Amino acid sequence: MNKKKNRSAIQRRLIPSYIFLIIWSFISVFPLYWMITAATNTTVDVARGKITFGGNAAVNFAALLKAEPLGQDMLNSFIYSSVLTILCLAICSLAGYGFELYHDKGKDKLFSVLLLAMMIPGVATMIPLFKIVSGAHLLNTVWAFILPTISTPFMIMMFRQNSRNFPPEIMEAARLDGLNEFQIFYRMYVPVMKSTYAAAAVITFMGAWNSYMWPKVVMTKQTAQTMPMLIANLAAGYTIDYGVLMMGVLFCSIPTMIIFFVLQKQFAEGITGAVK
Amino acid sequence: MHTIPACLHKIGIVSKETADVLVHCEHVGGKLKMKKVVSVLMAGIMAMSLAACGQSSTAAAASTAAASAAGTSAASSNEAVEVSVAAWDKNFNIPALKAAEADYQKNVNPNFKLNIIEESQSSDVENAITLAASSGDYSTLPDIVLFQDHYIQKFVKDYPDAWQDLEDTDVDWSDFGAEKLSFSTIDGKHYGMPVDNGTAIFAYRTDLLQEAGYTIDDMKGISWDKWIEVGKAVYEKTGKYLMSMDGDGNDLPYMMLQAEKSSQFKDGQPYITENETMIKVIDVIKRAVDAHALYLANDWSDYTDQTIVGDMVAGVMNGNWIIPTIEQVQENSGKWEITSLPTLEGGQEGFASNGGSSLYVTGKSKNAAAAKDFLAKTFGAGSTETYDAALTNGGVIGCSTKAGKSDVYNQGVAYFNNQAIYAKIVEMGANVPVVEQSDYHYTCRTQIAAAIQNIINGADEQSALKDAEDQLKFAMQG
Amino acid sequence: MVEKKKKSMALLAQQKRAGWGFVIPATAFIMVMSFLPMIEAFLTSFKTGSSANMKWANPLTFNYTRMFSDKLFMRSVGNTFLYLIIEVPVMLVLAILLAQLLNNRNLKFRGLFRTMVFLPCATSLVSYSLIFKSLFATQGLINKILIGLGIFSTNYNFLGNPDSAKVVIILALIWRWTGYNMVFYLAGLQNIEYSVYEAAKIDGANGWKTFWHITVPELKPVIIMTFIMSINGTLQLFDESVNLTKGGPANATITMSHYIFNNSFGQGVANFGYASAMSFFVFILVAVLALINLKVGDTRE
Repeated sequence: MNKKKNRSAIQRRLIPSYIFLIIWSFISVFPLYWMITAATNTTVDVARGKITFGGNAAVNFAALLKAEPLGQDMLNSFIYSSVLTILCLAICSLAGYGFELYHDKGKDKLFSVLLLAMMIPGVATMIPLFKIVSGAHLLNTVWAFILPTISTPFMIMMFRQNSRNFPPEIMEAARLDGLNEFQIFYRMYVPVMKSTYAAAAVITFMGAWNSYMWPKVVMTKQTAQTMPMLIANLAAGYTIDYGVLMMGVLFCSIPTMIIFFVLQKQFAEGITGAVK
Repeated sequence: MHTIPACLHKIGIVSKETADVLVHCEHVGGKLKMKKVVSVLMAGIMAMSLAACGQSSTAAAASTAAASAAGTSAASSNEAVEVSVAAWDKNFNIPALKAAEADYQKNVNPNFKLNIIEESQSSDVENAITLAASSGDYSTLPDIVLFQDHYIQKFVKDYPDAWQDLEDTDVDWSDFGAEKLSFSTIDGKHYGMPVDNGTAIFAYRTDLLQEAGYTIDDMKGISWDKWIEVGKAVYEKTGKYLMSMDGDGNDLPYMMLQAEKSSQFKDGQPYITENETMIKVIDVIKRAVDAHALYLANDWSDYTDQTIVGDMVAGVMNGNWIIPTIEQVQENSGKWEITSLPTLEGGQEGFASNGGSSLYVTGKSKNAAAAKDFLAKTFGAGSTETYDAALTNGGVIGCSTKAGKSDVYNQGVAYFNNQAIYAKIVEMGANVPVVEQSDYHYTCRTQIAAAIQNIINGADEQSALKDAEDQLKFAMQG
Repeated sequence: MVEKKKKSMALLAQQKRAGWGFVIPATAFIMVMSFLPMIEAFLTSFKTGSSANMKWANPLTFNYTRMFSDKLFMRSVGNTFLYLIIEVPVMLVLAILLAQLLNNRNLKFRGLFRTMVFLPCATSLVSYSLIFKSLFATQGLINKILIGLGIFSTNYNFLGNPDSAKVVIILALIWRWTGYNMVFYLAGLQNIEYSVYEAAKIDGANGWKTFWHITVPELKPVIIMTFIMSINGTLQLFDESVNLTKGGPANATITMSHYIFNNSFGQGVANFGYASAMSFFVFILVAVLALINLKVGDTRE
């Protein structure tokens, strides 16, 4: 009896918390809800502020397909983001592992230098990077997309932080077993750090999927376009059809939401490890 | 000097200065422990760049071979020829290009193909040329580009290698209006083939004018002061504005000035605070907004979506390419008519033009001969097949006087109460005064737009305009 | 014995080589893709002229002196700092608050709340800018709601007035990034052992005191990290300025990156030398602020 009373007392004290969380959750979700309903309405209704579902989804979808290469762009975004995520994770986890578990003063200094790269504004390096990429004839390829961000100090830092949770004793034991250094990384480290990889994958994939400025510079052909570019095109038109635009935004947002939903738990664990 | 940075510079990955800096770094780096790391890095970069080296040289060889092969085969043969063009606006420019393609296929070469690369906006084409010229790699450009008239002079000046002139075609340039050609003629050479006619019109809702007690003939040759009075009356009787304007882009002052045969520039310098006409024009705009005759939309999409398609206005003044937007409001068909623009003094008709683009052949195009022939025999020849189809399918009104005499051009348009608007527009186009232009046209317009915003929000007219002029002078330092 | 030592030394050397080998690919990419271009941009900042044919500026520091007398650039700096000073503290406070609330074991539906709060982060910057632009349009939904509630009598042009446009940008930023920072704080909170709280409770500390004297100090490294990340991100603000307000009205809300971009691609006048100089200025700003941050909260060994 007492326990029950206690529990409800606790819940009552939490009511302000619930209220605040409900309000903030509503604020967070409402614009997205609006976006979904807008995708099902005509542009006139959207401009008039309708917030209920309409019946125009199929029409909007057809118009979207007619206006832009939706399938192609989804595929492009998916390929670019996936390739980038895989390679970035491979290279940065290797580096984070090296920086933390093969720690020495030289590496510390090198790491501080690399951190400087985080401060470099994207606008500044755009032209020189473009020269490099076009000089190597890589425009409109997946390489143009991924090369600038295949290695970022943030990712290296994340893996480095999380590597603190990796016991160095395992490495010694593995060496005694005859494994070479790379095999230790591959067979011991990677499986243990699964949640870190998951968190890094979510961040990298979402960042890659949503990137706009750089792809706009290097993807000059319509066939190489990405989803954010598709949306910007819809919004740049002579007149904007808001229903179609929001349908495009919906398609652009769904993959990232799915990735997040699926990998939520590991994402949280990975971040937790990173801030220990 | 056979250093790695020198090789990087040779193939264009880094500039000479960066290469020198890197060599210096190598010398210094040799003293630190980091030398090993640096040399490994350099080796890696070298490996990457050698791969690029090999690629670019073979690619260059291949393209020059192809260029000489294509160049020799004249376009008049029935060989399969493909010319690429970048253009925007699938409802307007692209049907015009398709019309030209069909014309050329029928009358010159049935195996001709026009590869239309659709861009979403004009700035995409400008950026593509900027990027190509800055990196020295023109292979990313198509053979022909559609390009805004107002920017072409600066682009030709800054990037001369990106363009080819059309002097070696036998186009009759007198067929086109002088004002349109003034944009694309540089140093006496014609670079651009005019496509659309930017002549400005003033379209009015005749039914709403009638409610306020006016007819469309009253609006012809009207003065701006009288126009504001009409606007006041229309607003009171109907709740609609007599005109709206894109607050971001300053189309209106530019057109008003042009109708007065004045410009924002004089002898290459900004001509704003000393320009009596400019001051009067700005004053008219302020009074018009205060009288609810003129509505200032936030930006371009608000201007088109909210005020025009959203049926907030009883009048539209802009380049005639605004007509398809007006026509989107189907229930107002038959209630519109067009006429010329008001002037400050009144008693005469005002003419202006706004925007518009032309087709340009790019400098390193491998199909230049074919591209030029294509342009010369369609748009350049006043070919009614091209122009009629462009008008019917895309609403593109051309600049060719010859083509403007066709039946299609002279038909009555139902939306505009059966007025023969196309012929009227071509006719008006011949009266547009040539005013001084500048490379900094849009920069100036942005400043004037900002000044107008500030004035509407209460700033003093003189100081706001002075501010705009100072900013413009600053930006013109280059 | 000597042989054993030799062998272990060789092994150690091999390990050391491997360690460097692991680090090199990532380092090489950053060198080529970030530092090299930055050096080149730095050199370009001393040049003027057409981007196809740049010449050394005369005097060399022409672009830099020009930068400081450019009223529009100074305005973009002011705007960016305004967003920084208002948005970042508000957002981080909200994020900590949310994290604190969500860290309570007794709270039900925690997972659901957490997901909903993080959802804004799944949208691309272009997407959410366009959503907010539509919501705050003169005939948009927010206006409808405010009129319906009787707070406004006529439609208010949020994006047409410089001050309200800035407010909209700040609100949008807070909406978008609070969830992101909350995740970091939540993770940090979950690293604090529950026993610490229990001890505090026994000592008689109430919620507020616990928060200030225990939670916040424990979270210090996370707070510093999110501060630096937020400063970095806000100083480089670009997508919102371009898509939400187009820098308007009349360049009233433009940010530094947006202005720099306009000087490279935007209005036909490509002025790479000047753009590079301004970029370098931004770079220094970010680096200085980050350094200050680190020094102020120096807990690293």
